[in-house]
Amino acid sequence: MDVDADVRARRASVPDVLEQAGGLAPGVARRVAHETGVPEAEVHGVASFYDLLARPDAKLRVCTGLSCRLAGADALLDAAKSAGLPVAEASCLAACDVAPAMLRDRDVVPAVTVDDVRRAAPDWTRLRSQAAPDDEPWRGRIGPDGADREQLVFDLAGDLDRSGAALARARELGPDAVLDALEESGLQGRGGAAFPAHIKWRGMVSQPPGPRYVVLNADESEPGTFKDRELLVRRPDLVLEGLTIAAQTVGAEDVWLYLRGEFGLPRRVLEAELDDAERSGRFGALRFHLHSGQGAYVCGEETALFEALEGRRGLPRHRPPLPIESGLWGRPTLIHNVETIASVPAIISKGGAWFRALGRTGPGTKLYCISGCVQRPGTYEMPLGISVDELLDAAGGCTGTLRAFSPGGAASGFLPASERTRPLDFAALGEAGSMLGSAGVVVLDDRVDLRDAVRDQLRFFEAESCGQCAPCRIGTHYLRDALDRQAAGDRDALAHVADVAWQMGEGSICGLGQTAAMPLTTALEHFPEEFSS
Amino acid sequence: MSQATTLELDGRTVEFSPGETLLDVARRSGVEIPTLCDDPRLEPVGACRTCLVEVEGQRRLAPSCMTPATAGMNVSTGSERVDRHRRTLFGLYLTDHPVPDGVGEAGDELLEMAARYGAPSDWGRLESRRGDRTSDRNPYVLFDAERCILCARCTRYCDEVEGVNAISLSSRGAETTISTADALSLLDTSCELCGGCIDVCPTGAMTEKLPRTRGQEEVPVEAVRTTCNFCGVGCQLDLLVDRQANDGRGRVVRTVSPEPGTTTNDGNLCVKGRFAYDFIDHPDRLTHPLVRGADGELREASWDEALAAAAEGLRGVAERHGPDALGFVSSSRCTMEENFLVQKLARAVFSTNNVHQCAAT
Ligand SMILES: Cc1cc2nc3c(=O)[nH]c(=O)nc-3n(C[C@H](O)[C@H](O)[C@H](O)COP(=O)(O)O)c2cc1C
Ligand code: SF4
Repeated sequence: MDVDADVRARRASVPDVLEQAGGLAPGVARRVAHETGVPEAEVHGVASFYDLLARPDAKLRVCTGLSCRLAGADALLDAAKSAGLPVAEASCLAACDVAPAMLRDRDVVPAVTVDDVRRAAPDWTRLRSQAAPDDEPWRGRIGPDGADREQLVFDLAGDLDRSGAALARARELGPDAVLDALEESGLQGRGGAAFPAHIKWRGMVSQPPGPRYVVLNADESEPGTFKDRELLVRRPDLVLEGLTIAAQTVGAEDVWLYLRGEFGLPRRVLEAELDDAERSGRFGALRFHLHSGQGAYVCGEETALFEALEGRRGLPRHRPPLPIESGLWGRPTLIHNVETIASVPAIISKGGAWFRALGRTGPGTKLYCISGCVQRPGTYEMPLGISVDELLDAAGGCTGTLRAFSPGGAASGFLPASERTRPLDFAALGEAGSMLGSAGVVVLDDRVDLRDAVRDQLRFFEAESCGQCAPCRIGTHYLRDALDRQAAGDRDALAHVADVAWQMGEGSICGLGQTAAMPLTTALEHFPEEFSS
Repeated sequence: MSQATTLELDGRTVEFSPGETLLDVARRSGVEIPTLCDDPRLEPVGACRTCLVEVEGQRRLAPSCMTPATAGMNVSTGSERVDRHRRTLFGLYLTDHPVPDGVGEAGDELLEMAARYGAPSDWGRLESRRGDRTSDRNPYVLFDAERCILCARCTRYCDEVEGVNAISLSSRGAETTISTADALSLLDTSCELCGGCIDVCPTGAMTEKLPRTRGQEEVPVEAVRTTCNFCGVGCQLDLLVDRQANDGRGRVVRTVSPEPGTTTNDGNLCVKGRFAYDFIDHPDRLTHPLVRGADGELREASWDEALAAAAEGLRGVAERHGPDALGFVSSSRCTMEENFLVQKLARAVFSTNNVHQCAAT
């Protein structure tokens, strides 16, 4: 047996073994150390890093993301506590369209009411909601209504396509033509950085021979974002076929699917789809490895995700090297967001030019998530570059008077309603000092206390910072503390925010710390009156 | 000077060798770059962010400890951007660190640097959320979580140099701290109490218990370089001596290891070398030879008397029972030369091969 591979596999198993052992509790680290050969202090370090492992007593978690807070998460938390249920707070559960959401063990329970919580007590396992009464698989709302299905990349309402036609077409075309189609499509990464996909694929192809991997990033944890969940639940066929085309093109034999630990339902859907694929043999000898995270937003950052897959604390790595040079276990790795990968089959079947032409100010359609103060929160597949107004139209309008919106997750900060006609694309939002990010749009009407909303976002980053570098570890703590002091009447509390934010942007290792001040700095810029007292 | 191996550093053209980092080049060229998480014995991690410099054409500031020197690079360590970076970074560190009356307290590298680079110290104070291990009953190492800046020198040292892995980074975010498994006492872990964590800590978060419990933290000391005499390896160490103590006879307050890279032990020591210095000034320590008289009582003697008594005893045994009735055991605390002489004594003087040394098993 390959000794290195054995050591590697045992180290990689640490989070899973910890989960089976019941998470962080006295004596567990030592037992897991014996079993895996990893030193016990390091096992403890891993167990204490991941939220789902570090607090095994919390069987229920209430999502405290912005949209869930707006929908009454605090009342759920109070109700669960006073009912004596084992409850804790969770960061964002990627269920902002079914707010307020709760986590029961590893499953998200959508649209929970205070009555649901009271009915469950004293047995936490009984928590159910109207939206999924018998624990049946639930889905979020999709749109827009009446869309021309020929103009959709994902067709979320469509049936599963297990024909393998796109894969067959990719085989027929050969790697070079696949790369050309990808380039022609103009597909940019949908995980937030908008990096052109074809450059990464070509970069993989030009690596020296040897093992290489394809990784699916399904950590989806950016507040306001839930499109990957919806894609996984509705169209796992597209995700698996896209991964297979990618692996075939770049010469990988192993594909890793990293799902956030709270994706119990998407995982079961994927497992069923993988079973079917295995029975039909349509993906050949390609090996798929499913891995569930253990609760850490930062593991969506691609290099932290590699650390997590390797069984370590999810600390982002420095770059260079880039993942295509040195990624998972130091091997060339192609990592993509779920939506990016799921775009591939359509690009291969219908052509790069077709995909490119779908967009308005940039290539393709985009899965926009909209939640918060909106009539019909959900996932909307629309041309890249529509405005918030158009998105709101599709989603039934704002519940009040639009005051502000966050265009692409917590890290994109807040923009005023006057930006409602600005294209929601990568370039135009960048010019406004914001970003499209993961396209998790949260709209706020005039009844929302903006300072509270900012605090929710700051609190999120503070809770999710990996703690590796001082600018982010101390900066996120400092900003939330400063806002609290300001709210409590300290007039000078925000005096150094600009310097701290500057330092976080310049000094932080990864994107989390680099953008974590955005909710506060953008709000101070656009809504100074909210912070005058 | 060939173009292929030079770069611009603050406007100067400097040569570098392949494999050097920007930090290496700067240090060699006498350009100061502050570092907190760097240690020549450890893999660089770029976590403390103090060594960031500006490289022309790169969007982000680069950690000089992890950036390989490349031909033609244009590096500045003193630009306005780097200056502001240092000021604001140290300013932020200070909000999360105990700051005594004046910034710049000796012995805390963070405070020294903050003072040197003009960091603001009026940004307010955060309450530390780092877990500590105050109930740890080990006799030597004290962890003051409040002073910890999470440079992770101690955990990496424990892993990469000692191969012991008794401590690790644990928890995350503002709660990140240095912990053993389940926050156990070091005595209940794989810890060998080498004290390396104390030595590598730049801020005094890892300190030694003994001087504290004796109230000797603040006394002025003088460093005296010596060779550890616990074994034959010959580690160099510095005894920090309080000359005034013991009515002017002096007292060793603690032991520190010399800078890594300067002596054979490369800054490393074991539990004995680092912590077992108490015997030096201990009242029970023998400072004169003792010879047992006919009455069975021990009495102080001169070296000549003592050696004569030993010689007489050894010779007497050899005469009465033959040379093989004698056995010589020497100590690994002796030098190689001394051990050589002991076997000479056994073989050449007493004609026996009964000679052993405790490390020779
Ligand atoms: C803090 C942080 C969190 C991230 N979270 C995610 C995530 O949940 N899902 C995702 O696809 N990308 C996430 N990313 C972006 C990834 O690092 C990476 O850019 C992406 O997986 C690349 O895939 P793409 O090119 O298809 O977008 C995150 C980045 C940062 C800095
Ligand atoms: S920026 Fe934050 S999350 Fe990223 S490495 Fe630094 S501490 Fe970790």
